Amino acid sequence: MYTLGIDIGSTTSKCAILDDGAELVGYSLEIGGLGTDGPATAIAKLWESCGLTASDIARTTVTGYGRMKFEGADDEASELTCHALGGRYVYPQLRTVIDIGGQDAKVISLSEDGRMSNFVMNDKCAAGTGRFLDVMANILKMDVNDFGACAAASTEEVSISSTCTVFAESEVISQLANGVKREDLVAGICNSVAVRVAALARRAGVKELVCMSGGVAKNEAVRRALEKSLEVDIAFDPRAQYFGAIGAALYSYNKLMKQKR
Amino acid sequence: MVNEIFAKFHEVATSPRAQMDKYIAEGKKVVLTAPVYTPGEIVHSMGFVPMGAWGADVQLNKAKEYCPAFLCSIAQSILELGMDGAYDGASALIIPSLCDTLKTLGQNWKYAVKDIPFIPMTYPQNRKPDYGVKFTRAGYERVIRDLEAVGGVFDNAALAESCKIYNKHNEAMRKVDEVIAKHPEVSAVQRSDVFKSAFFMTAEEHTELVEKLIAELEKTEAGEKKQAILVSGILTDAPQLNEIFDEMGMHIVADDVAAQSRQYRTDVPAGDDALQAMAEKFAVMDNCSVLYDVEKKRVQLIVDTAKARGADGVVVVMTKFCDPEEFDYPIIKKACEEAGIPVAIVEVDRQMNQFEQIRTNLETFRDVISM
Repeated sequence: MYTLGIDIGSTTSKCAILDDGAELVGYSLEIGGLGTDGPATAIAKLWESCGLTASDIARTTVTGYGRMKFEGADDEASELTCHALGGRYVYPQLRTVIDIGGQDAKVISLSEDGRMSNFVMNDKCAAGTGRFLDVMANILKMDVNDFGACAAASTEEVSISSTCTVFAESEVISQLANGVKREDLVAGICNSVAVRVAALARRAGVKELVCMSGGVAKNEAVRRALEKSLEVDIAFDPRAQYFGAIGAALYSYNKLMKQKR
Repeated sequence: MVNEIFAKFHEVATSPRAQMDKYIAEGKKVVLTAPVYTPGEIVHSMGFVPMGAWGADVQLNKAKEYCPAFLCSIAQSILELGMDGAYDGASALIIPSLCDTLKTLGQNWKYAVKDIPFIPMTYPQNRKPDYGVKFTRAGYERVIRDLEAVGGVFDNAALAESCKIYNKHNEAMRKVDEVIAKHPEVSAVQRSDVFKSAFFMTAEEHTELVEKLIAELEKTEAGEKKQAILVSGILTDAPQLNEIFDEMGMHIVADDVAAQSRQYRTDVPAGDDALQAMAEKFAVMDNCSVLYDVEKKRVQLIVDTAKARGADGVVVVMTKFCDPEEFDYPIIKKACEEAGIPVAIVEVDRQMNQFEQIRTNLETFRDVISM
């Protein structure tokens, strides 16, 4: 029995299919989230990659900021619920999920038996989100995916003192004008995101095992800075960006099981 | 019948200007009362119709001339509405001194809205000792003098009668809160209308309508159980917020909201001197972020009420930039968690047009308390 999870974020759309809530049969990602053809393209990619069609799917759950506008799902669920489910699918001992997405950051605490026990979301501010990194990448004329490798070459990290994206933008421009090395600046930018998110995580309470989900999880510099700030190891799985979609597929499976009972 | 009563509450709650025009057309004078606590009994006894002025969900433009961006949007929207003429025809506006923002609101109002006199109600921080009660009484006497200047007539016997009318209203509001807690089919939107309409009707009219609602609900079979929540905050009247509570299958079984139940917790005590009794009422009022209390008894009240009403969780609706509420939140969160009651916090202000983050938050909270 296949269940489909679709995670429509602010910048990307992700899909995942589970077989009987256990085996990850396929997953796909497309740039373009809410308000774009990203979700449709991600679904088309998924069918192509796993050889299944919509008629094979027993139930579908949509999550993410685009969930309200998506038609064709049986259920919609909050992305925090889905990231918790997806994270726990990958890490059965998981207690804390740090999800840094395109436009927000969230920290989810799980109880020992895997239920969500607490969560915090950032306020309406781009600081500490993927958007902050995108803005900075734009100033530096870099691909944000290269931030991790660039920051690794830093020898003297620069402090980005402002917590406001707009002011930080000016600060970065000033630092560039002062001749600061790009890698030191990138390390400072990544640390700025980490510090902001670490404060959020402490409010929720950090218990190990901790993992990151969402697109920013791929950024090693942010991960390392978060580890340093929180003084814990942070698990990383290459499928971190798909945790929401995997969790949505699990949500569907759980619903079906509940109905059967 | 129940739906007709709710429709009336909704009509009043969503058309305060029409209510004001109606009273003025009847030859009555309207006095606006700003948050959080104003002596409505005094206003009523002096022949005015007190009407709540808690601002509205409007874009803030003119008020920004006087207010920095980080000022509470409730206060800013009151000023905006005043500058925009939305309160034209009112005889005065009473603003209590219960938080720093309200203190500045009065000063700004004097310059920005010259046609509607500003009447300050200065409350003491230490309201319980005798000197505090004397201070409160002096504040009320100042309000009385200012209301006399705009055509009111004070009489202690009339005040005693108004206190009885207001106490009866308090009792009805406490009762309707209890009754709605037993009826999950009453939506958050409807519950909000019941409380909000109280600001735009005379106490007598509102009491009559509330008592009708109670009688009808008591005859009605309770609907299917939903996720029971207690809501806390200053103001929770945003229609989109209440619609989300309803969409999420949440039933508000109790509130600790300044614009709702906090208004009706304390009656004016019996006594020969009604004005003194009013001052004594303020002295015994408690359990509110703007009423000074080093012991923060409010926190335990939230926990106890949530338990007594069987709430599955507490939702704190934080008005952005409201310092008194923000200071209390960590203590509330800690106490609820120690009592095993899950807590969520959502942030609102008077200029919100996007509620998606709140939807995500409450949807997740629903999963936390139900899964």
